[in-house]
Parts: sequence; structure tokens; C-alpha cells
Amino acid sequence: MSFRFPRFPVSAPVRDTGPMMTTTMAASDPGPIGLRAEAVGMTYRRGQHETVALAECSLDIPRGTWASLIGASGCGKSTLLRIFADIVKPTAGVATLHGLSPAQARANRTFALVSQQSTMLPWRKILGNVELGLEVAGAQPVERRNTAMQMIELVGLAGFENAYPHELSGGMRQRAAIARALTLRPQFLLMDEPFGALDEITREKLNFELLRILRETGATMLLVTHSISEAIILSDQVAVMTPRPGRISHLVRIGFGHDRTAAMRDDPRFTACEAELRHALHGGAPLH
Amino acid sequence: MTDIPLVPAMAAAGPDEPSRIGALLGAVLPPAACLLGLVLLWAVGSATGLIPFYFLPAPQAVALEFVNNTEVLVRHGTATLTEALSGFVIGNATAVVAAAVLSSVPALRDMFYPYALVSRAIPIIVFAPVVVVLLGRGYPPIIAIVSFTVYFPTFLNMMRGLAAVDADLDELLHTFSASRRQRLFLVSFPTAVPYFFAALKISASSCFISALVTEWIGANVGLGYLVVVSSQYFKLASLWAAIFTSAGLTLSLLGLVHVAEHLCGRFTATAAEMDA
Ligand SMILES: Nc1ncnc2c1ncn2[C@@H]1O[C@H](COP(=O)(O)OP(=O)(O)OP(=O)(O)O)[C@@H](O)[C@H]1O
Ligand SMILES: [Mg+2]
Repeated sequence: MSFRFPRFPVSAPVRDTGPMMTTTMAASDPGPIGLRAEAVGMTYRRGQHETVALAECSLDIPRGTWASLIGASGCGKSTLLRIFADIVKPTAGVATLHGLSPAQARANRTFALVSQQSTMLPWRKILGNVELGLEVAGAQPVERRNTAMQMIELVGLAGFENAYPHELSGGMRQRAAIARALTLRPQFLLMDEPFGALDEITREKLNFELLRILRETGATMLLVTHSISEAIILSDQVAVMTPRPGRISHLVRIGFGHDRTAAMRDDPRFTACEAELRHALHGGAPLH
Repeated sequence: MTDIPLVPAMAAAGPDEPSRIGALLGAVLPPAACLLGLVLLWAVGSATGLIPFYFLPAPQAVALEFVNNTEVLVRHGTATLTEALSGFVIGNATAVVAAAVLSSVPALRDMFYPYALVSRAIPIIVFAPVVVVLLGRGYPPIIAIVSFTVYFPTFLNMMRGLAAVDADLDELLHTFSASRRQRLFLVSFPTAVPYFFAALKISASSCFISALVTEWIGANVGLGYLVVVSSQYFKLASLWAAIFTSAGLTLSLLGLVHVAEHLCGRFTATAAEMDA
């Protein structure tokens, strides 16, 4: 891949605080404001029935850094992502993207969402689907075709651009959805289990491919995943959520900096992070 | 990086030719045999006097009518075809535009949709005499009536089709900050295509029916007029020739709609789902 993103003009200091901090610099400076949720609450109402999906949920992801959300199914991870993407409005608190409301951020096209369903227009071929975001944004046909083809190649779908979505496997559709999000060169990348349907090997390949793209674009990412190791590989901080009501119970900082290779898995710190996250997921008291 | 050695999509193309021809024959032969049998029964019935000639003349008499009176049938057939097709096009086009406007402007929909629903209950054909008085004899009143009959099923189906957009697709376009117009053309219209064709199939026959009936009331040309005149003068062969001609025209339009749907289906959801 020779394609390069325009570099994002904001430096991205990494916050390395908390118990996992070991070797990297101990910067406590909070970094430029990125994704921020302040006491966000979300109560779904259907007639008399109420579901409290989120309560007092606060999260701060400095610009240019990466965060993951893990937690049991139904604990409100997608809901938080959908609040940032301006699909639902929180019933309490505020969510901001670089200081802007989700509605403003959407109007400025600063974020891209890869939804849990990897939604595609069933009557369009993969190329047409990957082009869709740029098409809506008013890009020229040649430009959007070229960008779409580059992204299709990047996610390993070259040769499938003329297939219809229903002709692809679930994992391939997920990769097409990622390609579509990347064509928009978003400052904020919101991803809801984007690698959920992939095998371990493809998943890890794409994890490191995504890391490269994140470094090149300087994008800020919020990722929902069910895989602890994926959360560690792709994050500066991992937020653990507990259900009913959904809130963030633990925040684990991953002190690996941004130059990561597959070798990080063998690092003892990786295993330590894994242990702490597993402990947190099972409802343990914070270790710090 | 490439993985998953799946055959690139287009390689797995349609079925090979012989089986397709076989399938076509299998679909055409049984009904053709049935039709032949019916005509034979009809011929035998007429020859033996079981079917009285004043009810249904013998098949050869009707066939002879087509040969001897071609010019008359063509003249009246052309008139009916013109009225039915004009009404078909005008009614459907108006319905699509009205549904698109109403479904993208909620305020307008709230204002007009109840009336659109209520007006369906009005039997339009009873207004034919009034319309004839208003627009005079000839094509205009008939085309107006036909357009009206065609309009309602298409309008209602399009309203439903445009509203049937998948919630996930709606969210996708929302996060892209798509305009109303973009949503309409990128998602709503393709979603509504199956609904549109369902309505076209209804209107393909109803446009001929309402053209024929309106001709009874206020025209001096057209197959409906020919039917009335033939029965008055007891020209039964001519009557049945007119009936068969209008049936043939209706079936042709219906066939065209099916072909169009098949061609269009390649670009819409239905095709993908039917093949899957
Ligand atoms: N549109 C909605 N209406 C009513 N309740 C909803 C709606 N969307 C989500 N919920 C409820 O909110 C809670 C959180 O849902 P959410 O989709 O955010 O969970 P999740 O953490 O993403 O789960 P998963 O890991 O299975 O994707 C669930 O209890 C769900 O039933
Ligand atoms: Mg979810």
C-alpha cells in the first residue's frame, strides 16, 4: 500500500498513568480534548417500560489517543457509541467531540461510525457501498472511486469490489464497512465490534493494519470489542463497563506508546494488563 | 493481504443455456396445452350446438372476424390503447411524485395523507358522466378517469414503500449527514421498487378496465364502444373479437411490466434476496 493519509496536525501525547505505567514517560498532562462523555445517562422508554442503558457514564479520550470499551453484552457499549455518533440523544449529561456536540460533529463530518451490523445497501456492489460516504459528501466520481479501491485493497477485499454484500461472508462485510469508514478520513473513528466476525489471524492482521492507519491519520478512536487482547493491542486506555445501569467501573491504562508490533503480546506488561482486565470484567474491585 | 479463497463473485454466473430453455418450455407448454384443449372444447361445443351461437359464436367465426374486420379492430384498439397507456403513465408518474413529496415533507403528509386515504373510497367511475360534461367527449375525460384509477394504488404503495426503509440504512445515511434528497434517491426509491411494481401490476389491468367502461359512457370510438355497439346490433363475433383484443392488450402490458421488473430487479434488493 503506497497510499498515505494526510497527517493530522495535532500532536498526540500519550497518557501513561495508573498502575500499568512502567517504562514510558510519566506524562500526567491531560492532552488536547477529544472524545468526552460527562455524566452521560441514557434511559430508553417504551410506553411504561424503562431501560436504564447508561447512568453517570464519564469518559475522556484525549485527541489522537485510542480507547476501547469492554463489558458484558447489553451493558450499554453500543449506546455510548451511538450517542457520540448523534444517532440517539442522551437523556442526561453531555457528550462532545473535540468540544462540539455530536450533532455539530456530524454536520462537519468529523467522525465515521462502523456499526455493529456492518450495514450495506443490498442492491449495490461492494465498490458502490464503500464509495457511499464520499458520494454523500459530494466527492468527485474519479476521486471517490480511487479512494474506495485503495481502502478495499487495504482491508484485503481486492477482487470483491463487484460482488454484492449478500455474496460476502460476515467478516468480509465488516471489512467493507471499515473500508467505507476509512474513505472519509475521519478525525474520530467510532467502531462497534468491527472485527467480531473475523478469525484470530485475520483479526490480528487487521488490528495492526488499523494501528498503522491510526498513526498515519492521528485519528482518535473509540472501539467496542469483546476481546481483551484486541482491546490492549488497540488502546491507550480500556474502559470496563458493568451492566444495569451501564457505567464505567474500571479504567485501565495501557502503557505501550503508539509504536506497537506483534511482539507486544510477549511483553510481561501485556499479560499483566490482560489479568487486570479479566479481573475487572468479572466484577472485581479496582486494583488501583 | 488476501485470504479466504472464495471464487470472485461474478464467476458464479447464471445457469447454462440448455437448462434455461428447458425451464422455459416447462413453463410454457402446460398452459399452452390447456389453452389448446379449451379452444377444442369450444369448437366441439359450438359445432354440436351445446354452446348456443347467440352466447358464444364458434372459434372460427371469431377468428374470421379478426381477418375480415382487422381495420375496425385496429382503429378501436388504438383508441383504447392510447387512453389506457396515457392514463397509466400520467397516473403512475403523478403518484410517484406525490408520494415522494409527501413522504419527505412531514408537514405536508400530515395535512394531505388522511384525504388521500379517504378519497380511495370514492368509486371514481361514477364521476365519468360529470368528467365528460366538464372535459367534453373524446380522449381527455377518459384519460383523466384512467389516470385517477391508476393513481391511488400506486400512491398508497409508494407511501408504504418509501416508509419501509431499513432502520440501519437510515442510521447510516444519518451519520453521513445525507440530505433529504440524497436519502430519497439513495435509499428510499430503491427500497420502494418492489412496492412500485406491485402497484404497476394492478394498474396494468385496471387502466384498460376503466378505459373500456368509460368508453361505454362517453365515447364513439374504442373497444368499449365497439362492445356496446356490437351487442346492440347483435354482432356477436365482433363483440368477442373486441373482448379478446382488450384481453390481449392487457396481457401485453402486464407482460411488459413483468419484464421491466425483472430487468430492474437486478439493481434492487429483491433480486439479491431472491437469488440468495
Ligand atoms: N432502541 C432501544 N430501545 C430500547 N432499549 C434499548 C434500545 N437500544 C438498546 N436498548 C437497551 O439498552 C441496553 C444496552 O444496549 P446496547 O446495545 O448499548 O448494549 P451493548 O453493550 O452494545 O451490547 P452488545 O455487546 O450485545 O452489543 C440493553 O439492555 C438494551 O436492551
Ligand atoms: Mg452493541
